[in-house]
Amino acid sequence: MSFGAYLTGPFGQSQQLYQARNEAKRGRGSSEAISQQSRKDTQLIIQQQREAGLDYVIDPMFNVFYLFQPFAEQTNEVKVGPQENWFNNNIFYWRPQIQGPLTVPDLQISFTEKYLHLDELTENANSMVILPSPYTLLALSDVIGYANKKEAITNLAEVLHAEATHLVSQGISRIQYDEPAIVVKQSLGSLTVEDLELLQRGIGICGRVAGASTSLHTYFGDAGPIIPYLNRLPVDCLGIDGTETSFNDILKHNYSGKELALGLLDARSTSLEDPIDIATKLRIVAEKTHPKKLYLTPNTGTEYRGFTNGLKKLGLLKQVKEMLQ
Amino acid sequence: MNKKDYNYGPSQHDHDAHNDSHEFLFPTYEVGSLPKLNARVKAARSQQLTEEEITEVKDLAQRYSLQAEADEALDILHHQKKNPIKLSTAEEHTLADFNALLYLKLQEAVGLDFVYDGEARRSEMYQHVATRVEGFERTSEMIRSRGPDSWRMAVCINTPQLKESSLDHLIITEFDFVQQHRQKPAKVPIDDPYMIAVMSDNRYYLELLKPEYGNDPGKLRYEAKRVFTLALAKNVIRPQVEAVVAKGAKWIQLDIPAATLDIGHIPIMVEGLNAVVEGITNSKFSLHLCYPRRVSLTEKKGYELLFPALLDLHPNINHLSLELANADRYENDLAVFAQYKNQRSFEIGVGVTDITLERQQQGVIETPEIVRNRILRAANVLGDPNMVYVAPDCGLRQLQLDRCLKMYEVMIEGAELARKG
Repeated sequence: MSFGAYLTGPFGQSQQLYQARNEAKRGRGSSEAISQQSRKDTQLIIQQQREAGLDYVIDPMFNVFYLFQPFAEQTNEVKVGPQENWFNNNIFYWRPQIQGPLTVPDLQISFTEKYLHLDELTENANSMVILPSPYTLLALSDVIGYANKKEAITNLAEVLHAEATHLVSQGISRIQYDEPAIVVKQSLGSLTVEDLELLQRGIGICGRVAGASTSLHTYFGDAGPIIPYLNRLPVDCLGIDGTETSFNDILKHNYSGKELALGLLDARSTSLEDPIDIATKLRIVAEKTHPKKLYLTPNTGTEYRGFTNGLKKLGLLKQVKEMLQ
Repeated sequence: MNKKDYNYGPSQHDHDAHNDSHEFLFPTYEVGSLPKLNARVKAARSQQLTEEEITEVKDLAQRYSLQAEADEALDILHHQKKNPIKLSTAEEHTLADFNALLYLKLQEAVGLDFVYDGEARRSEMYQHVATRVEGFERTSEMIRSRGPDSWRMAVCINTPQLKESSLDHLIITEFDFVQQHRQKPAKVPIDDPYMIAVMSDNRYYLELLKPEYGNDPGKLRYEAKRVFTLALAKNVIRPQVEAVVAKGAKWIQLDIPAATLDIGHIPIMVEGLNAVVEGITNSKFSLHLCYPRRVSLTEKKGYELLFPALLDLHPNINHLSLELANADRYENDLAVFAQYKNQRSFEIGVGVTDITLERQQQGVIETPEIVRNRILRAANVLGDPNMVYVAPDCGLRQLQLDRCLKMYEVMIEGAELARKG
């Protein structure tokens, strides 16, 4: 069994980046100062990931304020709508207002690229970019112009697939599709067969990307009851939030043929997990569920508790990975 | 609506009486905050003041007959203009006193029926409380929240308790000042415990309860938040409530901006509120609720999300102030209160003016006629105009002061029009 580790979402901003933003807001700073600090922090976090020996390196996404921002701001038929809490967090997103059908972009055009430091990212490492999953994008957007949801998710998935393909052409080796909505609905008891069918349809279109591996990363909700369903989706890796999903439920299934990314580190807590306990859990999962490869991850991005806490969680990834090797 | 059944004029009601019943329809109030005076903010930051900023203070003092009271504050501001330095504590208090007095008098003069000080002494609702809690520590960095806007999160590392002598800074000083200077009845805004809990990192209780619930993450999260909320209710919020009730507060508003943040956890909010008000009988209690999340991922929408949990609220809480104008779906949003009114009836403080920055940027504000219609629409859905109070959607601290004043005026004119039917 091969063990790995990686980060799965935006990293907490540094105090210096906050100060640069705050100065600009008060008319005393500049956007250049923000860009410089953002790049400096990006270089540091990428370096830290490399030194930790993480299997995939991500851009810490300091220029992205919410998951849908690049899509909403850079797609012609989409407007930025009203703000809303990002699930149960004191962090906000703006609901995309989608006037479909969207034009599936030319492979030369990317909505994500200008928000990331791809030049830093693709240098000497397996790199990963995070995109919204088509189901979460559909569920959290205001959508018009389609005959039905099936048609809408088909179109959204095509657009996301084109984006993923473009990113791979730029040297990205893994695409992670973020899928919180399906497990949150499951936790709230409002999940329907239609929801699962929509997810299946969307991932069926964008889940395979030539030249890269893919992951469907679920978080903020209990995946337990729908693991068998998620396990059948056409992605290389399934991400499960281990801070929301019972460990016993995770152990009930066989993941052979698929990679498993377990979010056992709680990115929304300053409490630091016991590395021995985490390593023990991972060994049990490997032994009982037979994934092709098992990754330790935070359940989501570390942005919810800031830069220092993010570094501590990253340190834990490194420590546990070393213990397992 | 049958006018014969109701008294439509804000005539000579006893302002000091317990205000459970009022003698006219559609009483008006402010939800809580006003923007602090620009000159005061800049002086506190040792920034260079402009003559216009000082003139604004002078003009407001004149408009509300506070020239004598403004003298000392204006002296400080003039000194800051010449030589911006760090203010002394006494100077900061003088400016805070004047700011609080101005907002109290401004609210009375414009015609609000229930008043307070615009929260002129508070920094921001979460920090105002979180910085005075023993058992909390702050995160190392500011955490990004809304676009580039950031905030400082508190981490609970032990049982939360109020720090020694913090009651004065939290509530007593401001309440005593309002009591001393007010002529109209006061409504005292205080944070609810659930908001503090959901905005803080609940490290202490998650670790404490992990051995008990470790195999059920959902249950662990729920129980840890519940115990945390109840500790905040008992040790942090209730002492504030008891302190002002002992000093004569007749109406306390508990502020809950995050009621539907975690849809599955709404019963915790209710339990926390009940722990705050249980056994306190000599004051009216209300809740201010911001608009529920638009995307709930459930079949329920808007204020439906709060039911049936709200049916379990302590009977002492009989009034809900609701954000409604922003969505302008009064019939839909209030239908659930009409639906449940046989089981539990609440007075509703109807939000009639949209307080969002977008509307300010557009330069758009409601007319008295729009306000009138919104009040009557609400009264119609609820089926009893006696249950309707009138308020802005939320506190006004993000807006410009002149817009706040205009908002009060249209609200009061709209209420007068609505009283005419």
